Parts: sequence; C-alpha cells; structure tokens
Amino acid sequence: MKKIFFFSILSVLFSCQNDDSDYIEINENLEFNIPDNFPDLAQDISLNYPTKKGFELGRKLFYDGRLSRDGTISCAFCHEQSSAFTHHGHDFSHGIDNLIGNRNTPAIQNLAFQSDYFYDGASNSLEMISIVPIHNAVEMDETLPNIVQKLKQDPTYVKLFAQAFENREITTGNTLKALGQFMTMMVSSNSRYDKYVRNESGGNLNSQELQGLNLFQSKCASCHATDLFADNSFKNNGLPANPFLNDLGREVVTGFETDRYKFKVPSLRNVELTAPYMHDGRFGSLQSVLNFYASGVSHSETLDPILNQNGVLGIPISASEKEAIIAFLKTLTDQEYINNPLFYFQT
Amino acid sequence: MIFSIKNKVATLALLTFLTSCSSDDDSQMASGNGEMELYFDNSVNGDNLILGASTYTNSNNETLKINRFNYIVSNFVLIKEDGTEVVYDKESSYFIISEEAQLNTINLENIPAGKYTKIRFGLGVDQQRYLQGETAQQSFWDLADANNMTWTWSTGYRFINFEGTFTAPTLTGEKTFQVHQGSNTATDNYREITVTLPNTARVRTNESPSVHFIADANKILDGNSKIKLSEAMNLAGTSASVMGGEKLMTIAGNTTSMFVVDHVHAGGAEH
Repeated sequence: MKKIFFFSILSVLFSCQNDDSDYIEINENLEFNIPDNFPDLAQDISLNYPTKKGFELGRKLFYDGRLSRDGTISCAFCHEQSSAFTHHGHDFSHGIDNLIGNRNTPAIQNLAFQSDYFYDGASNSLEMISIVPIHNAVEMDETLPNIVQKLKQDPTYVKLFAQAFENREITTGNTLKALGQFMTMMVSSNSRYDKYVRNESGGNLNSQELQGLNLFQSKCASCHATDLFADNSFKNNGLPANPFLNDLGREVVTGFETDRYKFKVPSLRNVELTAPYMHDGRFGSLQSVLNFYASGVSHSETLDPILNQNGVLGIPISASEKEAIIAFLKTLTDQEYINNPLFYFQT
Repeated sequence: MIFSIKNKVATLALLTFLTSCSSDDDSQMASGNGEMELYFDNSVNGDNLILGASTYTNSNNETLKINRFNYIVSNFVLIKEDGTEVVYDKESSYFIISEEAQLNTINLENIPAGKYTKIRFGLGVDQQRYLQGETAQQSFWDLADANNMTWTWSTGYRFINFEGTFTAPTLTGEKTFQVHQGSNTATDNYREITVTLPNTARVRTNESPSVHFIADANKILDGNSKIKLSEAMNLAGTSASVMGGEKLMTIAGNTTSMFVVDHVHAGGAEH
C-alpha cells in the first residue's frame, strides 16, 4: 500500500512536469474472493496482489516456450488445463531434450491456499516457485537472467511489462511476480461437491456419492483435510520405495532422516483428471490407489502412524466402499476450472 | 532495478522536502547524517585467506584449500554508546561479501551523527524477508545468483558458499568439498550477530568512519561445534557436501562467533 501511495505522489508530480500521456497506463486490481467453504489463505497475496495486466502477462509467460533453454518447453507443456494443469498420461513428465524427470507433475490449483510447494517442499513462496522448474536441467534448463534477455528483444513484452509494473521494466523479479499473479488467481472451487456444501444449484449428490463422502470423512480426511482436501503436511504413506529412483522425498530438502520417504499430501480436487497418481505416478487409476491403501501399505521407519494402527497397516476399505469413495471423488471435478477461458492463452 | 531504487530515493527526497516545508523545526537537523563504511577482511584461522593457494589444517585434523568464500550479511543495526539503536533501511540492508569477486566493502548512508559502539547484523536472509519474495528483495536475487548464492533446485539463498578441496587422515588423496549454508522450508538458519567495536565509530556529516571486520572462515566447520568433512562424503567417496539437516544448524551456531571487529578507522582515513 505504501508503494502505491508513493507512486501516486510521483505520478502527480510527474504529470505536472510533462504531458506525456502514455506514461501512466490503466491497470487495476483483480478481485480475489476466498470461496465460502475454503480455509484461510496460506500465502500473503497482498505482497504481490494480482492486477489485470500482471495476471495477463503471467498467463502469456506461462504459455511461452521462451522460458526454456531451447524455446520448446513452456510451463503449460507439463501443466495442461484440460487435466487440471497436470501432465496427463505421463508418470514422469518429460521436459527439454525429451529428458525424463523423477516425479509426477502436480496440479496447479488453489496455490495461494498452500504453504509449501513441490512433493518435497522445495519452496514455500508462490512468488519464487517458478525458479525451480525453470532451472531444472530436465524440465526447462534455463536461467532467469537469460529469460529476461530474451524477453527484452520482444517489443510486445516490453510493452506488457511496462503496463503491468510500476517500474515498467523487464526484470527477473517482475517475471516471477507476473507468473505468481497468474497462479494466485488459479482457484478451483466450483465442483459439484462445492455446490453441494454451499447449497448452490447444481449441487446434488446421489446416494452412492453421499455414502462415499461419509466414508471419505471417516477414512481419508485426517490427511486430505478441509475443502482443499490436503493439510499442507508431508507424510510417508507406505508406498514401497522404488529402488531405481530411491527418492528420499522431504529429506532431500531438510536433510533430516526423520523426513525420509515423506511427500506432500496432495489436494484431491480434480483428482479424476490428474492421473497418474502418487509422487512417482505409479498408479494409473483411483481404483489402484484405493487398493494400495487397503492392502499395499508397507512398513518403514517413517510410516505415518495413522496408517499403522494396532499393528494393522493401511486403511480397511471394502470393495463397495471403494466404489462409493471413487464416486464421491469424481464430484470434485471442476468443469468450470478446466474450461475457464481466463486461464487459457490464445496467441 | 537501479531505476527503481532511484525512484524510491527520489520519492523519499520529495517527501522529505514536502515535510520540511510544513515544519521549520531544525533542532534535529543540527547533528545531521553521515556515512559509515564496513570493510570485511576475510581470513582463516588468523591468517589471510588466499583462494586456491594456501592450505591450513583445522582442529579436526583436516587440511583445507579454500576456493570460494562468499556470504550474505543483512539487517544492520548500529548501536550508539547510550544504547540507542539505528536500524538501517531494511530494503537496502542485504549485501554480498565475496572473496572471489572482491566484494568486501559496504557503505551505509544516511546514518545519524553519533558515537557508535556496537553493530548487530544478520548472516543470511531472514525468513520474513524471504517469504516476501521479489516484492521486497528487489534485484537482490539477481546479485545473489550472479555470485553463486542462490539455490535453484529449491527456492532460497545460500547464506554461505564455502568450497574447496581437502585431505583427511581417513581418506586417500584430495577430495572436493562444498558447504552451502542456508535456510530451508523446515529450518530457519538465519542468525543475528552482535559485535563490539574496540574503539568508537564517530559519524558526522563530514566524518565517515570505516569499521574493519575480520571474518574467520575456519569457524564454519571448526567453531564451538566441530564438523568433519570426512564424515560428509557422498556415496561415491569423491566429494564432501554439507547442505542440509543438523549440520546446517550446527554451522548457524558456529557463525555467531565468525566475526570480530579488529579496529575502526576514524572518518576520512584509509585502511
């Protein structure tokens, strides 16, 4: 707020001195509403509050391959809107030079409600998050300073950055901020389930889906908590480690052995669309996921205690219960989100 | 980014001008503002630090040849003899000291005249500022990146980048080492350090003292707590790396005794 105030003083003074009418472009703050059934924001979005021009610039950047070393891989390459911004059909996403990573692309949705990002929590700032895929050698393999050099050659970007930011410059910081503003606005909150809990029209669940909701609340919601269906924590859910990857999970970031094989609890919103499942994309269907929780959980030092009660590993779920839970999970699909033209950039 | 800083300075200047128009109380102006220079002299165990040249043996009986010694210092607070604290503008209070890039000097501007006897500062970047992202950090990420002080597989800053080669009794031949101190999303390893000046730093509008710090790189692994590089080898046994976990918390503790002020030059004098 302070900055906006200072800027307005400057603008007034400047406008007294010269009549250069295109010095101040029209930009406006976008409206950001917290859905009634959502918990509080986990990020302070006022620090990089989305504006119309900043959001549009972020969207253009999100779909621009120039953010990668050879111009071929945009953010949207692995984060496709039709699958809730995941990489459908790939257990590990392939990036630049057709190289393969070792984790399954996470969905981009409701990021401002999350405190940590990536399966291992490699970042906790929505504004800085893009640094990671941009620099990853098997994803985009580029550097922020190089991106800035490329964008400066493009008169369209020169204009768009000038409209979006008060210092009017193409910088690494403004590039990250624009992407952050775009992703702040990516809220998925209009699934059939949402309409059901908010008593809105179109919010009808059938008896099997309601049974699934009840089962979900008693068997799954301790980790997949709140209407985000995640609790911002890292847990070892008992997946047998893949010896060829030996992905240590959260330990990679913290260096603590107590964090071994712990991965971020993912949101289940749009889960019908985000196959494959788990950090390494090992399961191709929701049926396989529930089969795993019912009978595939394996013991290790850091297994979450909730999955090891009285010596019984996993979560007891019968065949008909699995069907009901899956029916419920499909009510979390948000057609408005995956079809929202605001998040789709057409060149 | 320089443009944006100028903007801010211009804004402040304008505001100051406007304020001073509306009030003619000049009793506060008598003492005025001056500058203070902070000079960081990098050393190892009492000797000059010469990158890639000299070796030294620490109390863990490991012999190190240092190739890189960079660190971030921040959030300077200058403390007067009567205990008054002058907090340097946070937006401008992040600096990189780099032996290889010869970044050794910090100039603090607009310091109220006075006699300063202590300085408190941070090693690294505090979590509050980090979470504010680029909004608050301005072009600091670029500067840090250019000096090998950012992580890119995760987001964050290296507070200390300490690299080189070493030998140890339990290892055959020379190995490389990398010590990257920093915070992560689980542990906050930013620490504040207070140093006492051996003689008073007197700031006047025309007197800019220079405070001569000595930073001892040895303290990182061989301070109050000891870290053996030979116990941090990778699986292949080719290199030691200290980049996470308990060791970073140990280093954070050690760094609180990494700095001393050797002497203070009165205003205008050279080193």
